[in-house]
Amino acid sequence: MSATGILEGIRVLTLEQVHALPWGTSFLADFGAQVIRVESVDHMQDRRSGPFPDGAAGEEWWNEGGNLAYFGTRNKESLCLETVHPMGKDVFLKLVKNCDVVTDNFRPGTMRRLGFDHESLVKVNPQIISLSCTAYGHTGPWRRAGSRARTVDAACGLSYLTGYEGGPSARASSNYMDHSVGNNVAYALLLAIYHRRKTGKGMRIDMSMQETGVSAIGPAILEAQRGISRPRLGCAHIWKAPHNVYPCEGNDRWIAIAVSSDEEWRSLREAMGEPGWAADPRFDTALGRQQNRGDLDKLLGQWTATQEAQTLVLHFQQYGVAAGAALRAEELVCNDHLQQRGYLQEFHNEHAPWVGPRVYAGRPFRIPQIPLEIRRLASLGEHNAQILRELAGLSDSEIESLAGDGIISSRPKPTEPAP
Amino acid sequence: MRVLEDVKVLELTGTLSGAYCAKLLADQGAPTIKVEPPGMGDPARHEPPFIGEGPHSDRSSLFLAFNTNKRGISLDITQEEGRRLLLRLIQDVDVLVESHPPGYLDGLGLDYHALREVNPRLILTSLTYFGRTGPYRDFKGSDLVAQATGGFLHGVTGSADRPPMGTVLEQMEITAARNGVIAIMAALLQQRDTGEGQHIDVSTMEAAVSTPSGLIHPYSFTGRSPRRGGSDGNVMDGMHLATKDGEVTLTTAGTGGRPMEAWAEFLEEPRLTEPQFASRSGRTENWQELYDLVAPKLAQWNNLDLMEASMSRGLVIGLVQSPQQVVESPHLAERGAFVEMAHLETGALKYPGPGFLMDGVNSMEGGHPAPHLGEHNHQVYCEELGLSSGELGVLHAAKVI
Repeated sequence: MSATGILEGIRVLTLEQVHALPWGTSFLADFGAQVIRVESVDHMQDRRSGPFPDGAAGEEWWNEGGNLAYFGTRNKESLCLETVHPMGKDVFLKLVKNCDVVTDNFRPGTMRRLGFDHESLVKVNPQIISLSCTAYGHTGPWRRAGSRARTVDAACGLSYLTGYEGGPSARASSNYMDHSVGNNVAYALLLAIYHRRKTGKGMRIDMSMQETGVSAIGPAILEAQRGISRPRLGCAHIWKAPHNVYPCEGNDRWIAIAVSSDEEWRSLREAMGEPGWAADPRFDTALGRQQNRGDLDKLLGQWTATQEAQTLVLHFQQYGVAAGAALRAEELVCNDHLQQRGYLQEFHNEHAPWVGPRVYAGRPFRIPQIPLEIRRLASLGEHNAQILRELAGLSDSEIESLAGDGIISSRPKPTEPAP
Repeated sequence: MRVLEDVKVLELTGTLSGAYCAKLLADQGAPTIKVEPPGMGDPARHEPPFIGEGPHSDRSSLFLAFNTNKRGISLDITQEEGRRLLLRLIQDVDVLVESHPPGYLDGLGLDYHALREVNPRLILTSLTYFGRTGPYRDFKGSDLVAQATGGFLHGVTGSADRPPMGTVLEQMEITAARNGVIAIMAALLQQRDTGEGQHIDVSTMEAAVSTPSGLIHPYSFTGRSPRRGGSDGNVMDGMHLATKDGEVTLTTAGTGGRPMEAWAEFLEEPRLTEPQFASRSGRTENWQELYDLVAPKLAQWNNLDLMEASMSRGLVIGLVQSPQQVVESPHLAERGAFVEMAHLETGALKYPGPGFLMDGVNSMEGGHPAPHLGEHNHQVYCEELGLSSGELGVLHAAKVI
């Protein structure tokens, strides 16, 4: 069976924007679900988000951006339909009848105003699975609040634990939480689809970005209940040493080293050629290394500073020391290991051939009999007619009249400025 | 709702990614058995900090958090008899989660082909730091090393003029586990159709590369590499700012494209609308001046009041909450985000749910905490595999269990 066979016949209608939800539904599209991204000419921000070749948006910028192929409309279909308009709403509900899953990441309340909340969907399709992905969920006093990935890092407790040693808290990432939540979206939807295949029943999933974050810091949540607080340590570790990032030759080059036993420490000493400072008996035991971590990190950093990072990694690894260079994007795109694993994918966007082939990160797992790749991206409104004909049962003249009334579109509004 | 109640899972203890992956399945009702080596058990049992007084193999917070809803047995798979028992267990499971270095199980004669002979439906899931193929496959890894080689360390967290700073609490291992369950669910849907198993290869390094999404294709499009330091001098979109009782991070979201007007009105500080702050670059250039206007205003607010008031105006902020504040959050309490579970060695503790409610239900409801080492040996070996008490005694004496 190919990847596209697994979810064949599953139809997903998704009212999605920005990052977490489109990332999540892209997995379903990879597995062969018909994922219909419902877009609006009044909300072009994702198609404006690029990245564009050399940073410059071209003439047909709305079909050019790299994020579209990476997750935005990756293996999906695009229906550009104004659901706020009564005729658009009517069409949407006709589609719901023939779909299995409806997802959204509006703030709570918006789907109800549109007439698309779970209760309304169930009236049209009793077996429907709905998933709503919000900052803080659909219940509780914070339900009306919006979020960005890093405000979720903050609200879930992760940022509080993040920071340089002895320093203030710091944002934990740029958009880690979008991906973490997106992965959780994919998992929850696959669970719901599995459940429905078994029982015939749909369900309503209330996905909270904050709670997904909380679920990722379980140990700290348990500790907090017994008054244990974790110190901020940068890249250092509460019991392992040496465990940090150390400078290497060149500008802003670093190696991460993680030693977790006396045996590994002895291997590291040996790999360094037994320098005198490393023979200090204070560093012989785990406790000694932990208690003298500052000195150890300084001395080790002085030693690594004259070495070339990637050469040093290969050398350390031969001695069984866990080490890795802090790689940059320009090194990752041509990284031998990733290339040999078939991780990177070169993709050519046929809707904007002038963009040329570009390299994308792959899926971070291999299922040998289920190969995954970016097969296509959907241009704006590319599937309007096909979807409305096949799934909403509209005639060609009805579709034409929707286009004439601006209920469906395949271009941004003339007033939409280029990004 | 126990969605995976008909999906049997076996976990062979290795790294944290494997434990978390199996936990995600167990928390959705999959009957999950954790197989630990006799004696010390899972190394995570011995990692500080510990809940309660002093070290104890049942009270590591890491172990408790990553092993909910599993039953636990001990088994030495390096012994012939241990392997025989493992194969008997494998006959009956859908998913085997393991996170040993590539080649370890193969060396014990437990490679995928051998396991497949016993159970062709088996979905073997191997989570490793660098994957099972490629030149790094035998490299030794850790969460920090995965952050480094995955580009996260250099480009994402920390200040531009300081060393890279990682993220904490094994987030890359957790991300690998989240990727693992997506792959497992796909393989499971296929297995239910065709009866065929799979061998899934999950890489933690790749989890790190895929995750920030600002790495590969943006570089390929623009030739620019992301650099850490995005929050340096970024008063409105990244810095943490002090309030009366905590910290907050602001955003320019939810302001209808007029961020400084909206925040000037909210903070009652008209000078925020001055032209030098109008653009993003202007705000960064004049960040100290901007900070001096914003900071004293925020210092007058309590965190919870600030959240309430900004929410009413549609502004988007993030309270920098401590884990303590998260546990005590009235919002999360009202949502039933935590489920209290009593453990013999720690007493009752609140555990976080999966991050979503299904038909309003937290799947952790009615769950149980992490097992003691070998807690379910009798149940599994005698009641389910049919061994006698006498046989169990011999296996115990031979240190097989």
